[in-house]
Amino acid sequence: MSVSIATPGPRLLGRLRLALGLRGVPWIALLVLLLVLICAAGGEAIAPNDPNDLDLGAAFRPPVFELGGSFATPLGTDNLGRDLLSRIMGGARVSVIVAFYAIILSGSIGALAGMASGYFGGMIDTLIMRLVEIQQSVPSVALALILAAALSPGLTTVIVVIALTYWAWYARIIRGEVLSLKTRDYVAYARVAGVGTATIFLRHLLPNILNTLLVLATLQVGQVILFEASLSFLGLGVQQPDVSWGLMLSDARQYITHAWWPITMPGLAIMLTCLSANIVGDWLRDRLDPHLRQL
Amino acid sequence: MRLLQVRDLQTHLHLRRGVLRPVDGVSLDVDEGETLGLVGESGSGKTMTGLSLLRLLPKGAGRIAGGSIQLDGRELTSLSEREMARSVRGRLIAMIAQDPMTSLNPVWSIGTQVMTPMRVHGIESGARLRAAAAEILRRVRIPSAEKRLPDYPHQFSGGQRQRIVTAMAIGSSPRLLIADEPTTALDVTIQAQIIALLRRIQTETGAGIILITHDLGVAASLCHRIAVMYAGRIVEQGPVRSVYRKPAHPYTQALLAAIPRLGAGSDRLTAIPGQPPSLAELPSGCRFAPSCPHRMAVCDTYPPETEIGDDHRAACWLHARPN
Amino acid sequence: MTRFILRRLGEGAISILGASLIVFVISRLSGDPVVLMLPPDAPASSVQALRQTLGLDQPFVIQYGMFLTRALHGDFGQSYRWQMPALRLILERLPATVQLAVAGLCFSLCVAVPVGVFSAVNHGGWIDRMGRIFAMLGQAMPAFWVGLLLILTFAIQLEWLPAFGYGGINHLVLPAIALGWYPVAAMTRIVRSAMLDVLNTDHIRLARALGIPERLIIWKYAFRNAAVPLLTMLGVYFAAMLGGSFVVEVIFAWPGVGRTVVEAVFSRDFPVVQAGVLSASVMFVLANLLVDLSYGFVDPRIRDER
Repeated sequence: MSVSIATPGPRLLGRLRLALGLRGVPWIALLVLLLVLICAAGGEAIAPNDPNDLDLGAAFRPPVFELGGSFATPLGTDNLGRDLLSRIMGGARVSVIVAFYAIILSGSIGALAGMASGYFGGMIDTLIMRLVEIQQSVPSVALALILAAALSPGLTTVIVVIALTYWAWYARIIRGEVLSLKTRDYVAYARVAGVGTATIFLRHLLPNILNTLLVLATLQVGQVILFEASLSFLGLGVQQPDVSWGLMLSDARQYITHAWWPITMPGLAIMLTCLSANIVGDWLRDRLDPHLRQL
Repeated sequence: MRLLQVRDLQTHLHLRRGVLRPVDGVSLDVDEGETLGLVGESGSGKTMTGLSLLRLLPKGAGRIAGGSIQLDGRELTSLSEREMARSVRGRLIAMIAQDPMTSLNPVWSIGTQVMTPMRVHGIESGARLRAAAAEILRRVRIPSAEKRLPDYPHQFSGGQRQRIVTAMAIGSSPRLLIADEPTTALDVTIQAQIIALLRRIQTETGAGIILITHDLGVAASLCHRIAVMYAGRIVEQGPVRSVYRKPAHPYTQALLAAIPRLGAGSDRLTAIPGQPPSLAELPSGCRFAPSCPHRMAVCDTYPPETEIGDDHRAACWLHARPN
Repeated sequence: MTRFILRRLGEGAISILGASLIVFVISRLSGDPVVLMLPPDAPASSVQALRQTLGLDQPFVIQYGMFLTRALHGDFGQSYRWQMPALRLILERLPATVQLAVAGLCFSLCVAVPVGVFSAVNHGGWIDRMGRIFAMLGQAMPAFWVGLLLILTFAIQLEWLPAFGYGGINHLVLPAIALGWYPVAAMTRIVRSAMLDVLNTDHIRLARALGIPERLIIWKYAFRNAAVPLLTMLGVYFAAMLGGSFVVEVIFAWPGVGRTVVEAVFSRDFPVVQAGVLSASVMFVLANLLVDLSYGFVDPRIRDER
């Protein structure tokens, strides 16, 4: 027998849950994402200092709440005296660009592959699914490494690497959706009426999977941000003088015995962005396409 | 002393949308070697009554709000949860589950599943456990019982699985068996076999059986006495023959009339009009009144239980004696 | 059952073959590999000679065939940077990586299983809510940042554990935690949801009705059922550990395959990169294979199905 049982909870925790988006609209998460977008769009214009401005005299200045800190550099400076806050804001741009293009690219390829695979079936399906399996048998970081070794490191490489790593995930899920859509009457009628395949794809299949695609894309943002950070950390992503959170951590690593803030701050930026993206992604999924919870 | 004596049992479910009273003042008795049928439609509270006897209510939400349950004179409502689990459940009162397809754990062999309750209750131990398990399976007529101990549930048919479930229940020779719709998930031929099995077990062990069902035919073939439930209360109870031949309560009459009979002449099925009241908002008067063809003004007060024949009682103003 | 094993082995072989193709294709992307294999001032004649030896003037398919045959014999070429056969180098470093991956997985399980089970049994309670919040945080932290923070706290501030290197259990602790951190969230969720599903089933309810003590019901009955979906994902997570170890090894200077491959990438040492990535793929596929096979052990219904 199934009975829904009321669980009373303390009010403070209830507000915390609201903030974390465990129930209702996740305002704080959306706010964080908005801030990230603003930083990405505004770039140097809104940062308090130039992210690349060296000031060796001010090297390793601690954050404002510690002794020796200053409001000019509220989060402290790194080994070259560069303002961490401005660098973090600058790094937001890379994260947003990579996330945007990588997701669009992998989403498109994956959706196309998934639609083709699900709709045509037969050899095409087998072929595409084999490709998916084969690609999933190489661990993504390893794949990224070898791709980055073959092409030269940089922003484009990172985008390509991420796209090639994640398309398979989309393809599998979209294929499932299309398989079930295929059985719907209006698709069958369209085929019988001799409607061209491209039209069927565009007008019948695509609108129906758009919801799922949107949810998948938002769920992916967090992962992409982490992946980009990892690649940049290893030195395979954006190069100096561009700023990336992963790159900042890579620099800070050498001076880990000197200062804790160059390591903690960029990491916090990564964590907060990724967390917010995950929360928003989960919220969208629960509202639009809850059966994707299986993922 | 009766085997089971339930007086004015009340079970409440505290849900988000309100408090439900699926068991709202139920009194019944079961003797040794006797089968009582608890009959009613879905939502009448019969399953909840059975679960209440075992105190197996949904965690947090369900609780026994009042009344007494006495098994062999021992009051069950005041026992702690641990004592219920240790000495009552599976030992003194056992349950035969409804759906044999889902009631057996798919990853354990049936041998383990039959042996574990026996081991937990200290019936047998060590080497004799296997022998005891094989013996029980033989009693429920599972062929080659000994050899089939390591087999898994999916390797048995539906009827066999129901027998295995029964075996698990009788392993510790309980005093009372609660069979919750034991035949609903099975087809008609298997149903007859299970009913015969239950009858045989009763004769062999002298246990009392409460058979919860909505199938009046099944109730008729196995039960000595029958209690009809509607909206949380028992509206009529008595010996099976008596209730079926001379149903006193209009609800019972309607139930019996609703059973389609071949060659009855009419080609329309008699249905019971209206719906049972919501278990969250129970009226203070007779609950069947809105659907009753003999409804009277006095039905706004709940009718007392009146004796109709020998041990045959019904709660209806039609039979109440003026006091 | 045997047919099942054979079929999965066949599929695994195809996957590895596919991985080798990917590795081969990608490494040819970077242009002329010969140029990368010889020192920059090599004379044109040696470049030409090497090209012929490597069969680079042959059609693509033949090149792949040669690559494959050599690979099957364990010949991936000579490492330019370490001056030794590439495969031998990788194999020497492999045990360290596997050790790390296993340790990471153990850590994940040690956290995820208790938290998941208690969250489910207690669901709605504070363990459940706390668990979910920490899980959310955990999934937003990149492994390498966790590693750095661990070093910061435990190695530098508290000086409890060493910051890098290979040695006894001491050296394994921090890297294992850093590696195992990320999947904890997802694993806990799987355990929790699997337990919740099982705890609601008829057979658990029947077990309770038969008086079986709650502790037995949770751990012997319910967990056993819930372990099945956990095991499926275990292979995926182990595989993820193998992949994630690349970054963690770099941070902790752990002498495994990951760190070697990263160094090789920067030295443009292609034989090592190829050998490393292919070995990683093989382990990956094997891990998944083992999980599929163990599935048969754990869920008896599967055994007879296939």
